[in-house]
Amino acid sequence: MAANYPPPFDDQGEVREGFLCPLCLKDLQSFHQLHSHYEEEHSSEDRDVKGQLKSLVQKAKNKLLRREAERTDCGSQERYEAYSYGGVDPYMWEPQELGATKSHLSDFKKHRAARIDHYVVEVNKLIIRLEKLTSFDRTNTDSAKIRAIEKSVVPWVSDQDVPFCPDCGNKFSMRNRRHHCRLCGSIMCKKCMELVLLPLASKLTSSNKPNFVSHGSPNLSPNSTQASRRGSISSVSSISSVLDEKDDEQIRCCQHCKKTLLKREQQIDEKHYTPDIIKLYEKLRLCMERIDLKAPDYIKMAQSINAGETTYSLEHANDLRLEVQKLYELIDALSKKILTLGMNEEPKPPARTQQLQKMIRYSATLFIQEKLLGLMSLPTKENYEALKEKRKYHLERQAALEAHRQLEEKEKDSTAPNGGVSLSRRNQFRKSEGWLPMAGGQCDREISDPLLQQIDNITSFIEQARAANRSDEVKILQENLRQLQDEYEQQQVQAAIELSQKTAEEEAMQREQLEVLLKREREREKHRGLTQHSRTRSLDFREVRQQQPPEITRALDLDSAHLKHSPLAKLSPLQQSSSQDLGCLINRRKASEDNPQPHVNQNESLNPFEEEEADLSNPFSEDVYVGLGQASKDVDRGEKEYNPFEEDQQMPGVASPPSNNFEDQSNFTLGNPFENSSPTNPFEVDGCEDELIGRQGDEAIDEDLLLQQIDNIKAYIFDAKHSGRMDEVELLTENLRELKRTLAKQKAKSK
Amino acid sequence: MNVLLAVKQYVAKMIEDSGPGMKVLLMDKETTSIVSMVYTQSEILQKEVYLFERIDSLNRETMKHLKAICFLRPTKENVDYLIQELRKPKYSIYFLYFSNVISKSDVKSLAEADEQEVVAEVQEFYGDYIAVNPHVFSLNILGCSQGRSWDPLQLSRTTQGLTALLLSLKKCPMIRYQVSSDMGKRLAEGVKQVITKEYELFDFRRTEVPPLLLILDRSDDSITPLLNQWTYQAMVHELLGINNNRINLSRVPGISRDLREVVLSAENDEFYANNMYLNFGEIGSNIKNLMEDFQRKKPKEQQKLESIADMKAFVENYPQFKKMSGTVSKHVTVVGELSRLVSERHLMEVSEVEQELACQNDHSTAYQNVKRLVQNPKVSELDAVRLVLLYALHYERHSSNNLPGLLMDLRNRGISEKYRKLVSAVVEYGGKRVRGSDLFSPKDAVAITKQFFKGLKGVENVYTQHQPLLQETLDQLIKGKLKENLYPYLGPSTLRDRPQDIIVFIIGGATYEEALTVYNLNRTTPGVRIVLGGTTIHNTKSFLEEVSAAGLYNRSTEHAQITARPSSRR
Repeated sequence: MAANYPPPFDDQGEVREGFLCPLCLKDLQSFHQLHSHYEEEHSSEDRDVKGQLKSLVQKAKNKLLRREAERTDCGSQERYEAYSYGGVDPYMWEPQELGATKSHLSDFKKHRAARIDHYVVEVNKLIIRLEKLTSFDRTNTDSAKIRAIEKSVVPWVSDQDVPFCPDCGNKFSMRNRRHHCRLCGSIMCKKCMELVLLPLASKLTSSNKPNFVSHGSPNLSPNSTQASRRGSISSVSSISSVLDEKDDEQIRCCQHCKKTLLKREQQIDEKHYTPDIIKLYEKLRLCMERIDLKAPDYIKMAQSINAGETTYSLEHANDLRLEVQKLYELIDALSKKILTLGMNEEPKPPARTQQLQKMIRYSATLFIQEKLLGLMSLPTKENYEALKEKRKYHLERQAALEAHRQLEEKEKDSTAPNGGVSLSRRNQFRKSEGWLPMAGGQCDREISDPLLQQIDNITSFIEQARAANRSDEVKILQENLRQLQDEYEQQQVQAAIELSQKTAEEEAMQREQLEVLLKREREREKHRGLTQHSRTRSLDFREVRQQQPPEITRALDLDSAHLKHSPLAKLSPLQQSSSQDLGCLINRRKASEDNPQPHVNQNESLNPFEEEEADLSNPFSEDVYVGLGQASKDVDRGEKEYNPFEEDQQMPGVASPPSNNFEDQSNFTLGNPFENSSPTNPFEVDGCEDELIGRQGDEAIDEDLLLQQIDNIKAYIFDAKHSGRMDEVELLTENLRELKRTLAKQKAKSK
Repeated sequence: MNVLLAVKQYVAKMIEDSGPGMKVLLMDKETTSIVSMVYTQSEILQKEVYLFERIDSLNRETMKHLKAICFLRPTKENVDYLIQELRKPKYSIYFLYFSNVISKSDVKSLAEADEQEVVAEVQEFYGDYIAVNPHVFSLNILGCSQGRSWDPLQLSRTTQGLTALLLSLKKCPMIRYQVSSDMGKRLAEGVKQVITKEYELFDFRRTEVPPLLLILDRSDDSITPLLNQWTYQAMVHELLGINNNRINLSRVPGISRDLREVVLSAENDEFYANNMYLNFGEIGSNIKNLMEDFQRKKPKEQQKLESIADMKAFVENYPQFKKMSGTVSKHVTVVGELSRLVSERHLMEVSEVEQELACQNDHSTAYQNVKRLVQNPKVSELDAVRLVLLYALHYERHSSNNLPGLLMDLRNRGISEKYRKLVSAVVEYGGKRVRGSDLFSPKDAVAITKQFFKGLKGVENVYTQHQPLLQETLDQLIKGKLKENLYPYLGPSTLRDRPQDIIVFIIGGATYEEALTVYNLNRTTPGVRIVLGGTTIHNTKSFLEEVSAAGLYNRSTEHAQITARPSSRR
């Protein structure tokens, strides 16, 4: 039964699928068979003992694996306790398929079709009549003739049948005369009469053709579509005749027909009208798609280049980088444009529209934030050369080491034919994948008993652990082994032991054979490795030579190009090399990110997600520090153990950076290669809207930082006042003043 | 069996099926809570859903460039709103999803309202419950009973919620219920009826061992919701209250504007996910680690931002840092507030006595302790009442029961009539007469020896001695030892094997302590998956509301006499 739920940390390498018996790993075809097998073979054994054994082994293994994981990324918290007692953490339940669903669509369509057919036929009838009524030159035809034509289009209801106006109920008389609807032939009084102007009629009829085709959704019954087609053919001729307007260019109709026609008109309008937001939004999505397409490629390239590999060329990567960055710029600009859409007009767009625009902008910001962070920088030309050198050196060393080791091993192999040492060494390489049971053993022999297999596995674990100098694990494993062996003895009779000896003998023999095979293999590998190495090296040289020509150093190396005519030149070379444009981009983007925050906070609607998000996904609110300060105070009061902010408060003097520092920074951003692309940006104008988002974002960075500093310091002052450290308060206020001065200076400069 | 994932998958499918383009999500009050439990705003924004609207909000603007995804409960009002909506569509195209079974006639009237052919999809997606954790769900019903029977409205809502859960997990279970609870039987029958009626829907791939639905009644264990809690999630709910993952901190002294309301969701908050089941002491040290980690990652700018490299490093770490600082400040605030309340309300002391009351059988010590604490003015009203309640439940039939004396003490403290009345109400709700199983004295020899040993060795943690009754019930169920006369099957067929997939539902509400129990059982029992649900998730306050909503005051003349006695004695 437990076979259906393997412990989550089970080593994938040795998991066999299917209905395996948990004790002897025998593969059984179906659950039934497994069940009966289990009942027959293992019912006598105490299940709990088995389970315990398994979990013990598991525990030890987990410990080993965990150690490995910790080494690779220390600091990252284990999400859940990795210990498994045989059950499964609900968070790790295996993925499940979508729950049950039931569609009512066909039912729905059936009912709707019945209704819609009726409606569509009605509308089409009206429009066809309208066409007929407008298909002749009304102004040049005398009224009697017009009346005759009108009567031929739809039979008029006879006057005697209708003594009262059906709409308002007034009696018809000499003064209150009857009027006929030209579209349906019904009668109403003058008050209830509506008029269809010719322009409207022509709009309705001329849009007939394309509209009906598109309107005819697939579920419309065929005859209704046909009807509309028939109508549309005659409409072509009508267009020209309606173009010239005269004063009595109108057709009398009843309220009901007019309403239907107006509804139709609205539909037509909607069909043909695409608001600006849609156009911009479509562009935005397109950019996002392209980024999703290109970014992975770039990341692959950048990784390879940063590792000093020569698979991709630096220029190409730089091109791609620029392209991706342009796309980000475009997304930023487009979403900003969407945000400000119609905001300059009076009246401002309705609240929900505004919110929609804000949300689009917010999601675009999130998108950029998420993706851009993964966009690593490229090395500069010189750095790249250095990286390549380093890699080459590394490769050489590795090759040399390999050769050396192989030599050593060969010697050892010749002296120690059982190969125990070399085996353990080989296993060291496997460590990262978890410690597998020795591959050599398992595939070659069939051990019928699962315990033996376990014992074997554990022995190999012990060997591996020993090789890794982890004595504690070795101890655990050995204990496991002992338990396993005890169990084995209890369970098996003498014959089994004999068998095990036999298998052990066989195993030894096979190992010997294997060793010989391995040795040969290694020799072959060594040869291959050497040739490969020499090949890459020659390739390396070629690359290096290719990249040496001076004209390339000029191309695309924007950083250095700018350095020449920017005051940044006085910066130390180290800072220059670190002045990657990525930093600046994030910098600028961050400044603009501050913007969406107030919007989200403003939203006062029913929307439950907004409040929920306010602190989580909107990490840019400035008051976090203040909040933190207070929060920490709370804790302080409660526990008085630690005050995480103490050290900050104690070094307020350092907190404000010297002002020339900021000068440097602004200079530095002026020299930013990114700056170049912005003047070409068509959306430049929009930027003026607000300072934080704007193109002058370069200054905004400083201001932003300053503002933040000021906020922090304010929080500290508050804190210090609270705890009565007056000297600190004084110091801090002085700092604050200084900061404000810097800010003012900064502002003046930006203007 | 992951209920959270089940709902999440439904929502994801809805959004996915509507194709690209700007979307608005149109919901009702309940589905809003349902969706907000599984998705955050930023997650859903990435799926191009930019607006969230309530179907009942009037004056929504017409926005023909948006697609509308409607996720609604199939109630009469919602159908009416939808009909109005379809007559005058505000959005270009509608995708209709109902969270439960909708009647054919409703589909018909909707279809007839759709004259402009804006509806592109009509489906039932059974996300009709609040997914709290992967193994916990709730229906957010407070006060499901009237006296000792169902409020008919709530019975139908509970049946719907439970059947939706079964459908979303694709389980067609065998049903067992607690025989002592009439409500349990009614609900079991209701669920069975739906399964029979919608047999086509419940026609899932058969598993070897059929899943099991066990229906329990809160009145069988009134002790658990009355105890103070010491694990993070349970404690937060007990002391601050969790409402759809949200915690209201506005009453915390000196709280900043940003932290008035915080969200604790294990899905998006790693620290919470790691610590929700740990006890308070462990959280204290973990939060310290978190702070230290934060301190380390904190940009150096506060110390010095002297070089451009520093500045750059700060900016690069900025978003990460900000996110982390959000988490840190949130948890520091919450834990800080918890510890403030613990010391202010002397909860350590109170809880120790509570646990003694719940787990041990020493009347005289218990009485002394309760009396002492009730008279202590520093112990809050709620805690004083809580202790008396526990005493009343445990020593209800004890020969030297002195409940009237304690009630007097409560009165002398000036505790309101309302609270004092609750004592008899709770005894009426979950007293011995009502209980089907024995809450206090151990049943079999094994349990007796276990308790004996426990007494000898002393307990490891006095604050967490109590194990909810559910633990034992489920343990027996898993071992196949749960008595059939106490928990009969509905219908003739019975389960021969050990159950594998178990859904437990507690009428009258579950607790987070029970959620923890189920979580641990899941982790420690191979081959068994258990999902816990309740009409709601209780803390003491909400449980007392539940009890008083049931309106059980005047039924017991016996207790009226008891409460009357002290005055006559005086």
